[in-house]
Amino acid sequence: MNRLSKSTARSAAGLGVGALLVLFSGDRPAARQRLQSGGDAVLIASEPLSDSTGAICLWPTDRQVDELRARRATAQRLEQQGRRGRSTAGPGGEVIGGDPLRMVRDPNAAFAAVAVDVARNEVIATDENLFQILAFKRTDNTPETARTTPLRTIAGDNTQIEFQSGVYIDPESGDIYATNNDTRNKMAVFAHGGNGDVAPIRLLETPHGAFGITVDGAHSEMLLTIQHDSAIVTYRKQADGKESPIRLLQGPKTGIADPHGIVIDPKDDVFFVANYGSTHDASATIEKRTGVPSGGQDVGKTNWPLGREYAIPGSGTINAPSIVVHKRTDSGNASAVRVIQGPATQLDWPTGLAFDAERRELFVANDAGSSVLVFDANASGNAAPKRVLKGPKTNLANPTSVFADTKNGDLWVANFGGHTITVYPLAANGNTAPTRTLRSAPPDAPSLMIGNPGAVAYDSTRDELLVPN
Amino acid sequence: MLGRTMHAIAYDAVHDEIFVPQQFGQGILVFDGKSTGEVAPKRVIEGPDTQLIALDRLGVDPINNEIYVPEGRKVLVFPRGANGNVKPIRILEGPDTTVLAARAVAIDTVRNLVVVGATPYGANAGDERTSELAIFDRTATGNAKPLRVITGMGGMQNIAVYPESGLIFGVGSSFVSVWRIDDSGKVPPRFTIGGPNGKLVDPRGVTINGKTKTVVISDKYLNAVLTYSVPQLFTSPATEAGR
Repeated sequence: MNRLSKSTARSAAGLGVGALLVLFSGDRPAARQRLQSGGDAVLIASEPLSDSTGAICLWPTDRQVDELRARRATAQRLEQQGRRGRSTAGPGGEVIGGDPLRMVRDPNAAFAAVAVDVARNEVIATDENLFQILAFKRTDNTPETARTTPLRTIAGDNTQIEFQSGVYIDPESGDIYATNNDTRNKMAVFAHGGNGDVAPIRLLETPHGAFGITVDGAHSEMLLTIQHDSAIVTYRKQADGKESPIRLLQGPKTGIADPHGIVIDPKDDVFFVANYGSTHDASATIEKRTGVPSGGQDVGKTNWPLGREYAIPGSGTINAPSIVVHKRTDSGNASAVRVIQGPATQLDWPTGLAFDAERRELFVANDAGSSVLVFDANASGNAAPKRVLKGPKTNLANPTSVFADTKNGDLWVANFGGHTITVYPLAANGNTAPTRTLRSAPPDAPSLMIGNPGAVAYDSTRDELLVPN
Repeated sequence: MLGRTMHAIAYDAVHDEIFVPQQFGQGILVFDGKSTGEVAPKRVIEGPDTQLIALDRLGVDPINNEIYVPEGRKVLVFPRGANGNVKPIRILEGPDTTVLAARAVAIDTVRNLVVVGATPYGANAGDERTSELAIFDRTATGNAKPLRVITGMGGMQNIAVYPESGLIFGVGSSFVSVWRIDDSGKVPPRFTIGGPNGKLVDPRGVTINGKTKTVVISDKYLNAVLTYSVPQLFTSPATEAGR
């Protein structure tokens, strides 16, 4: 209950972008850097890579990059303005200000979720910054002097991608399932091999605020976490369109509170949910609140969570982060089988989850702790993790997603704050360097981690901008 | 106590404090202005008496020491120094207010006014494309009528007031519109910033830097913060400018 700056970007106002001081202070230390002319760079770690393999590209010139970005930005802007019904005609009044003096924006991919297509030797990652899905060779390894060239990139207006936070790869078909978080209430499924501005083969309407996704292959079920409603909805794996969930788990007994990652343990037929800890109660018996963004989604649906229009005023609580374990078939206001919570757990914005069914281990991408925590499958209460991957050699930077590739013995981590996807042995522990790294930017590129900036404030005392995300 | 889903922030320069809503936990977190890293908020407004539901925006009046929260049909007002489970000291609510769904709020501490960006009565409450700016006396409470209403805009996502110039900045479509605070009725904005047909795609936040005569806008689609130079808004008397 004590973090300010995870999502509060401060930047010195009044300076050109090239000299802009960008501070995501505190718990995103990897981003505590100055741009080119600022000096005092704080680089978390740099390890020489002994073996660089896979597709790489050397950095183009600044001019080439600028021209490419300008063309793409213009095309995307016009598409989006049109799609959103934004006016191309003015509302009246004199247009002033011209183009912006400066724009604080990360031009590089910020990896939010990662999964491995083991059968096809590919790695799939979502990028919450530029709204794209990237496919890489599983064996890629890129030195600091280059960025990893994707095999394919899914991006564009037809994809309906926005702030994709969770990803699942169907091991049989290679299809990509990815949840849009917060802004578009859709879960998109793309056919394996899709490239460019392709339409999803399925587009499922989800409750507002879907984040994590896991699939139970044995029962052909797909489970999604819903942040805003502190709920889990279970769909048919092949669900599409306006189809309703087949089960709903929501209520104060569930222990679900601002849920993020989710993963299934097929052996014990349970699933794990990572919670940030904030929640409120909702009731279908109170007067339905009007004017709620994304309200009314429940009309015509069954097993739909009670949204913010049913929130009980003043019932909110801000609790310690946790991982709750539920039986796969739990519904309604069912109690958790187990709860992992407490200071010994080191949980600090637990985000992505992965499970190694053979070794019976749960992996946690611990965003604010810049660590990966490993718990025994049966851990409960204020349990300490059995292993903690953390330290400057790891190059972990606000990890938001993990994937356990048990076939190849690899642990994959998406570093939202580091422009990287890093790979370790599944049994890695402590301050262990990655065995391979995929990169979207050079190590000294500031990782802004601006995501859905709904507001901005000016701190006149310090001449800084405050940006919540 | 912060989450990854915070859609508002306010800075109080008089008391050097930062205010952030925690919409899932139904709370208002107040941090010291110099806070950095994992620090606890100095105050938390939370509990059943607060009537907080899903606070997405807030405004702070550092002169009169009040916090304003738009919550559906209501605008809740709390003492700035409130902590814990406290009741609002005023609630603006009712059909005469014209506010069907309040989306944003800003305070003019010079003229003692509060501006509410809202979906008006008569529109569908969920219709984000029909908006108004309802201007009240700062101490208005209950089913009070606004002093005046500026209408005719759509998709108002956020607002800011710059009391020194008497201007209202409304974040709506792919640009920011500027009205005079004494405008009334269905009138076009005096100015627009960033468009139409500019770089902005989906602006959400706006703040004013009087020192550099700039307006700073956050865009949720671009994942960016853009700064525009608009010195003409800071000339005296700025309120005579435009149209």
